[in-house]
Amino acid sequence: MIHRRVFAAMGTEVELLLEAEDSSLLADVEAEFGRLETVLSRFRSDSELSQLNETGAGHVGPELLEVIELAIEARAASGGRFDPTVHDAVVAAGYDRSFELLDNDGAGASSVPVRVGGAVAIDRTAGHVALEPGYRLDLGGIAKGWAADRALAVLAAAGPALVNAGGDVAAAGRVWPIAVEAAGEEITLGLEDGGVATSGRDRRNWLCEGEPRHHLIDPVTGSPADGDVLTVTVAAGSAAEAEVLATTLFLAGDSRRALDEADLAAIPTVLVTSAGEVLLAGGLE
Amino acid sequence: MTTDHAPRLYALVGSILGFFLAWAGIAAHPWAQTSSSAEPQSAALATYSRRLNADAALVALLAGRRKGASSVRVVTLPPITTTRTS
Repeated sequence: MIHRRVFAAMGTEVELLLEAEDSSLLADVEAEFGRLETVLSRFRSDSELSQLNETGAGHVGPELLEVIELAIEARAASGGRFDPTVHDAVVAAGYDRSFELLDNDGAGASSVPVRVGGAVAIDRTAGHVALEPGYRLDLGGIAKGWAADRALAVLAAAGPALVNAGGDVAAAGRVWPIAVEAAGEEITLGLEDGGVATSGRDRRNWLCEGEPRHHLIDPVTGSPADGDVLTVTVAAGSAAEAEVLATTLFLAGDSRRALDEADLAAIPTVLVTSAGEVLLAGGLE
Repeated sequence: MTTDHAPRLYALVGSILGFFLAWAGIAAHPWAQTSSSAEPQSAALATYSRRLNADAALVALLAGRRKGASSVRVVTLPPITTTRTS
């Protein structure tokens, strides 16, 4: 029997699926998601992340330290396309509060690009993080992916399980059929072990002075990314890795280049273009 | 009476040097304003350069990734959940 639990956490909807006799673990995982929100959310002024962003430096707990390290490693590994120091650029673009509270009129939005790429000094032994002055962190997607992976590790001990944190999916134990929103077409990926994530501008978008804006910042320009890619869905070894790769491919600049990179690196990818084309790459067919 | 040629020689060399310095100064058009179009072009070049550097690093990374990091394929099973932009 598959047990299902759905709840709101980390600014999105979280879904847990567990194939086991006992479903009591689901409540524990829900509580853990709530606790992680108090650590990792940039929208809660009392979160550990917000306090770090406010002070610019300080001692942090092991979870925040781990996610910051993961994000900084991802920045290096993606050649700078994935960058957690986009915080101020995202806020300048108008995404300054939890998305469900966001006006669609772009109030407070600015078309002026903001610098991205500040230094982040991490002292793992001391549990201390220092941000370059003028930069703050947005751990958004990678935090959700990391939380999904962490929750899966707990659930998978009891049986085949899946965690879907607002589109960042971690799964293990059996083939889990996962639908990909693809411009009206239905594509279903069978994921056995690993993660799936989608980056795109079809959601979490708004208007600024009549122009559509979205939350995916190109670190090179400091503004929402241009290009003909609408969404990129990627499968990888974990939800956090899938999140990083999906963002990295989205920021490739155009669909042809993103598909070439997916093929080159054998990243299973479903890409939807602005024109509604659905394209597969990285071994998917 | 002997003629001292040294001052004349110095004067000649000084004149030639002054001439070339004046020529170089005039050729540099120091009175001309910097073209306003140079700044956006310079910024665009800097942006392009940064993107090239980033892309080069990424290609090196992608080329080094191991194949088959996840087990996934397109299936015809009814979906049990949906991934969407997070």
